[in-house]
Amino acid sequence: MRDLLIPILVLSPMAGGALALILRGRAARSALVALSAAALVFAAVALASNGLMRYTPGPLTTIDWNRVVLAADVVLLGWFLALAWTRRHPGAFSLALLQAVGFAFLEIRYGERLRVTQGFVVDWLAIAMVLLVSILGSAIALYAIPYMDEHERHHPGVPSRQPRFFALILVFLGAMNGLALSNNLYWTYLFWEITTLCCVLLIAHDGTAEAVASSNRALWMNLVGGCAFLAAILMLAHAQPIGEAMAIDRLVGGPTPYLVPVALLCLAGFTKSAQLPFQGWLLGAMVAPTPVSALLHSSTMVKAGVYLVIRCAPAMQDTGLTNVVALAGAFTFVATAMVAISQRNAKRVLAYSTISNLGLIIACAGLNTAMAVSAAVMLLLFHAVSKALLFLAAGAIEQRIGSREIERMEGLVLRMPWTTALTVLGVLTMLLPPFGVLVSKWAALESAAREPAAMVLFVLGSAFTVLFWVRWIGRLMAVEPGREPEMTEQMPALFRWTMGSVAALAVLLSLLVTQVMQRFVAPVVASYLQVGSEGFRATVADLESRIGSFPVLGLALSLLIAVALAVILASGRRAPTVPYLCGEPPAEGAELAPLGPGDRPAPVRVSGTYLERFFAEERHAAWMTVGGVLLTAAMLGVAAL
Amino acid sequence: MNLIQKARMKSPWILHFNAGSCNGCDIEILSCLTPVYDIERFGAVNVGNPKHADVLLVTGPVNRRNERVLRNLYDQMLDPKIVVAVGTCASSGGVFQNCYNCMGGVDKVIPVDVYVPGCAAKPETIIEGLILGLEKLAKMPSKPKKGAQPAEART
Amino acid sequence: MSTPEIAIRLFAAVLLAPIAGMLLVGLDRRISARLQGRVGPPVTQPFYDLVKLLAKQGDTTSRFQTACLALYLASNVVSLAMVFLGQDLLVMLFVVAFGAVAYIVGGFSAKSPYSQLGTQREMLQLLTYEPLLIFLAVGIYLRTGSFLAADVLRLERPLLPELPVFALTLVVVYCIKLRKSPFDIAASAHHGHQEVVRGPLSEVAGPSLALVELAHWYELPLLLSIAALLWATPLWAGVLLGLACLLASIVVDNVAARLTWSWMLRFGWAVAVPASIANLLYLYATRGGGS
Repeated sequence: MRDLLIPILVLSPMAGGALALILRGRAARSALVALSAAALVFAAVALASNGLMRYTPGPLTTIDWNRVVLAADVVLLGWFLALAWTRRHPGAFSLALLQAVGFAFLEIRYGERLRVTQGFVVDWLAIAMVLLVSILGSAIALYAIPYMDEHERHHPGVPSRQPRFFALILVFLGAMNGLALSNNLYWTYLFWEITTLCCVLLIAHDGTAEAVASSNRALWMNLVGGCAFLAAILMLAHAQPIGEAMAIDRLVGGPTPYLVPVALLCLAGFTKSAQLPFQGWLLGAMVAPTPVSALLHSSTMVKAGVYLVIRCAPAMQDTGLTNVVALAGAFTFVATAMVAISQRNAKRVLAYSTISNLGLIIACAGLNTAMAVSAAVMLLLFHAVSKALLFLAAGAIEQRIGSREIERMEGLVLRMPWTTALTVLGVLTMLLPPFGVLVSKWAALESAAREPAAMVLFVLGSAFTVLFWVRWIGRLMAVEPGREPEMTEQMPALFRWTMGSVAALAVLLSLLVTQVMQRFVAPVVASYLQVGSEGFRATVADLESRIGSFPVLGLALSLLIAVALAVILASGRRAPTVPYLCGEPPAEGAELAPLGPGDRPAPVRVSGTYLERFFAEERHAAWMTVGGVLLTAAMLGVAAL
Repeated sequence: MNLIQKARMKSPWILHFNAGSCNGCDIEILSCLTPVYDIERFGAVNVGNPKHADVLLVTGPVNRRNERVLRNLYDQMLDPKIVVAVGTCASSGGVFQNCYNCMGGVDKVIPVDVYVPGCAAKPETIIEGLILGLEKLAKMPSKPKKGAQPAEART
Repeated sequence: MSTPEIAIRLFAAVLLAPIAGMLLVGLDRRISARLQGRVGPPVTQPFYDLVKLLAKQGDTTSRFQTACLALYLASNVVSLAMVFLGQDLLVMLFVVAFGAVAYIVGGFSAKSPYSQLGTQREMLQLLTYEPLLIFLAVGIYLRTGSFLAADVLRLERPLLPELPVFALTLVVVYCIKLRKSPFDIAASAHHGHQEVVRGPLSEVAGPSLALVELAHWYELPLLLSIAALLWATPLWAGVLLGLACLLASIVVDNVAARLTWSWMLRFGWAVAVPASIANLLYLYATRGGGS
């Protein structure tokens, strides 16, 4: 049974995806998605309860798995070439060609060194990642069933592309699991490129000009990452004579002499996680249907990049490289949080916030102390859950009101009370103590306190973060005084269940933050980071280190009492009222319109504040890109020296 | 005198509304806040928001344009509350009595508790009127009577 | 810390500190009145205001905003208790931010022009003072080697000589948090001044407004105790330092005109934040004490 877990996690969703292409009926497709989801959740939980293990698949009858991987790689690279060719994108084509040539060279020159003996190693970081992918991925895939039906109703006349859509989603889930579990770069590379392909194809799902353009941008930027990945493999294959050169646990077992490959892997991680200067593709990717944004572009695929960087952290211990990585991450964190303030599109706010948080994770990995890496892992988990919830809610809102504009969501609580409540909950879990994201940010800040540059950037970035979150929920909740929302709302049952369970997961996980720390985070850090722990550990009630402590239980209890108090205080009788408009009563039938000149209603408009004067994208695009390029170059330069 | 009554006496927050006054009485009201009279000694504060106010000081005879504003302001104030009509115009319409566009006094629109005479009313009189009103405010019931109808304006 | 000691400290934070806070609010109003050549209300005035507000009938505040204000009050209580219990300063500041966020969301939930405009400004105020406070916590850490407030009390020397800038930025924070000129752009404190009616509190009435008044009673001791950390041995000197900062903010309030939000933002981010960073850099450069 144990040996079946990893094949189930990696191959069963892929098989489900292939079947979804063949069985084109809606019922069959839904059943396939549900089955795959059940298998994934079951296998992931079983894997977690099983704990650490190693697994190498035996040969498939007579064919070696390495042959299969080779064949898949060839198909994949061919696909990239064809895609770039048919889309007339010379940049992407040359990058794909470069990879194809590099790959051919690798196979011909070092083929025998690539044969993998150690296939999968399951450690707690991998388990955390698999749980994330399998549980959140399943929830989002289920959410996508009613979503895509509605989505097609909004785009009539286009032939249904749902089979392709769900096939890609399922294949992607398998690839993500493979990426998290695989212990050698050669296989990881395959999974990495599969996720890129799924991402590119899913962005182009709607087939509009904008979607294709965004898809192209995602293609070439991720191909840059693929090239960097391949270059790292080539250099390692060249440098190491033994067959196990690609084993991740060897490479990152501690400080390594092969710094340039590590820097290249970080670069690959930067592209996948849309760090500056590669932020463009993730912003463009928001044209995709929202389940795609939820799954690929916030909770899982973009996490692959930071996952790789966290994996690399021990290898760059005590080098200049780690400092540059920290700086690059912190730079992305603060710059994108700042620009997010000026965004009027909810999905773009979410995208910028995702990039920003990924930057924070990378910065923590770069700080490379036990506390910082713990913060990075915690942030990876908590951010994924909260952000998935936010995207799901944003999708539900978009289908109902037909817009992603925050201004159009004014007073949404009157129309969609439950979805709004879940959105607000999602934001609060991103923003406030004692929820997990904030606990991680606390750990990040305290571990950065000895590094002036990172500390200053963290503090400023956190200040910006508050602004765009608060503004959004402020708009959602804006209701004329005297009106009270009624908590009834129509929505598909699957929406209700998936959003509800993700929300419950977000809250529950936050309440169990000490358990999460003990179970998943501390073992990871202890196992592969050869540094003192700074006394950073979890007790029953607190997270504590030598320099501070976070009373998780105490704050959670206080919050509980405070909320109970708030509910009691708010439950009293309310007298009817009208908003204060300099004394003028609102005109009949119009809430926010006093009678103006000639006794005609003069509507008052209120809107959110976006501070475009200070934070507009165009104002900052140039230096953000330049800074990103310089820092990325510095990363490679420092590694080479 | 219990604590709530004492608190009401000592913490009158005032909303001032000019219902077509010539500004004479308004100047006198503001002078109550200045160092010479300093009614903040008694805890009185001039607030800009009916939802926070306990005392409505109205000046002017009330005309047909601002009648609805006056009524709305009064409605927006929380109970218990008192209304002080400041000056001759506010009390009776004064020289505007029987003008085609004037209501002829605050009590034609909302119930008035204290009438402060004078054209313009003197600060000392305004303060005395305020204190008379506060005595009435303090005695108002601390819980609304069930089924009690709001006081009607005299017409 | 033994259980009885925790109980005593909690008692002090939850019950004694707000009484001191109430008297300080009253004192603030009285000093302001004196600076304006008036006598001013008695120092117990805030108490009567609170009782009167609680006794108002027919609250018109929306339920959601009342709940938000209750959370704001709760966060002030919890953060003050955290300081008294010697807890982590960063976490304490996060709890303060929780309250600020609740207050702001409550203000945004009332769709009236004054509430919206005032709350937007309130949000920018948060953006201005939040980094200043966190930098202060980092500065304290750099000298004590710990973020715990309890460890500040173990110091033998006061921190102020090495963190002079933070006493000044604290005055800025006081002016913003206590809604004083030139930063009373979102909603002025009581007396005389008004701005956008009452900003986030424009639609708050009666008992709900009382929650805000009560929250201020906790806020003042909280701000004072943050200042006291800069001169924690002996503690009375720290309290004096806090009172001095408070007095400074009252004087500034009475001599300064109200300025615009963009001026505040520029002042905060172009003057106060760089000054804080400069002080921090000095601490990094002379990494003496600490671990």
